[in-house]
Amino acid sequence: MTASYILEQIVNGIILGSMYALIAIGFSLIYGIVRLINFAHGDIVTIGSFAMLASAVALKIPFPLAILVVLVTGAATGMMIERIAFRPMRGAPQVTGFIASLAVAIVMENIGIMTLTAQPRSFIVPAYLSKFIAIGPLSVRAIDLAIVVLAVLLMAALALFVRFTRTGMAMRATAENYNVARLMGINIDRMILLAFAIGSALAAAAGLMWGSKYSQISPLMGLIPGLKAFVAAVIGGVGSISGAMLGGYVLGLAEVLLVGLLPPEYSGYRNVFVFAVLIIILLVMPNGLLGHSTEERA
Amino acid sequence: MLWLEDVHVRRGGTHALQGIDVEVRRGEIVALIGANGAGKTTTLSTISGLLRPQRGRIHFEIEGRRIDIGRIRAERIVAAGISHCPEGRQIFGNLSVQENLQIGAYLRHDREAVGNDLRSIHALFPILRERANLPGNRLSGGEQMMLAIGRALMSRPKLLLLDEPSLGLAPRLVEQIFDILQRIRGDGMTVLLVEQNAAMALDLADRAYVLETGAIKLSGTGKALAQNADVRRAYLGVA
Repeated sequence: MTASYILEQIVNGIILGSMYALIAIGFSLIYGIVRLINFAHGDIVTIGSFAMLASAVALKIPFPLAILVVLVTGAATGMMIERIAFRPMRGAPQVTGFIASLAVAIVMENIGIMTLTAQPRSFIVPAYLSKFIAIGPLSVRAIDLAIVVLAVLLMAALALFVRFTRTGMAMRATAENYNVARLMGINIDRMILLAFAIGSALAAAAGLMWGSKYSQISPLMGLIPGLKAFVAAVIGGVGSISGAMLGGYVLGLAEVLLVGLLPPEYSGYRNVFVFAVLIIILLVMPNGLLGHSTEERA
Repeated sequence: MLWLEDVHVRRGGTHALQGIDVEVRRGEIVALIGANGAGKTTTLSTISGLLRPQRGRIHFEIEGRRIDIGRIRAERIVAAGISHCPEGRQIFGNLSVQENLQIGAYLRHDREAVGNDLRSIHALFPILRERANLPGNRLSGGEQMMLAIGRALMSRPKLLLLDEPSLGLAPRLVEQIFDILQRIRGDGMTVLLVEQNAAMALDLADRAYVLETGAIKLSGTGKALAQNADVRRAYLGVA
């Protein structure tokens, strides 16, 4: 096992972690504000990849512009899910919200299979993105580099927005206390909708990355990344945005390194490793890496 | 400037307010006193729009116009000029002290005036400037109360609803808070105050209402109520 092999695995872990992190942020952002896990979040990943297929391949929109289409489509889908499945359930027991989002997930997946068939479609990125670029001793595909750069840009933009803008501050206030936020004049319906829009746009971006990297997409492709990103969000401390980012990278690196460094006959146990990492971290830090002690909203 | 007429509120199966009439005039400090569960907090939450009255009318007069605020959303009531400083302070613990004050001015777009108001809040509560960058949950109870009042004032209200400012505070701090209320009133603010510390509330208030199990039992000037035998027995601990 050479140093360059290990370095290569680390790079792969960062690429995978970037995608997990983007999806995990949505889980945390939405949980932070409505205290519910959106089980349909993984399906937004699927929506994002198909939006990319439709805009870049079918409609031949230039790739960078198509990214914008994907973000908007993701945001719109997330907002629709909030209006249909979450808003009517507000004030109902938590379990009701979980079931509602699970129902949305099942409906979305089945509509996908009915209209698009479960057959995977190939998704070929433009030639300039499949080229290899040499960075020091490493040679990285341009698309992989683009994934990491885009992910970091999106996360930085989100962090700045939440930290420094008036609306970002209002979102944080809403996440803490609905009633007092309303007393400040904040329209909490709008903040909740915004959290869904942002979280879903990021998940859709992860979907286009996933499709571009693995060159094929299908109506159920979002399930596994969604599930693992949920694990990443829990590892980071669900509700914490920086935790979700950290959790995504921890999980991506752990998964790739464990698979890459252990003897090849264990590589089939990839998902076992993922959940083992989750269990070990939660045993040591029950609130996740950056989570606060979880308290229910009064 | 504020009139409640025959206001009824049901809350989780109980008839929390059973037709109350309250009036607050411009420039007054009006106190609402009563035992736990009498409906004091419910009254404030109904005025600020967090709860909806099942019956009755709530009118608020602003710039010579009378508006019916009984059916409008809490966000719009703040915009109309009523600021509610809720029970238990409820500052945003994860937001910094400075951000808590800024969010109080969420609906305002007059940046310069907001900056001026921030300075006058800092003058009123110098500790809030010293602690500006600390998260709200790192403040002591008294500091949190000051922050809660400061935050409520940042919307530049015409009417301040203040719920239990003395709750859980040491007597020295309570006096300090009440001094501040005097000063705020001196600046022309109108205050509707809910208080368990009836002695201090009646001392400060121009007029007061005694609330018992969701109904107004007595009303009058602060002085008169402080002399009233029933009030003295029930709320002032005087035999």
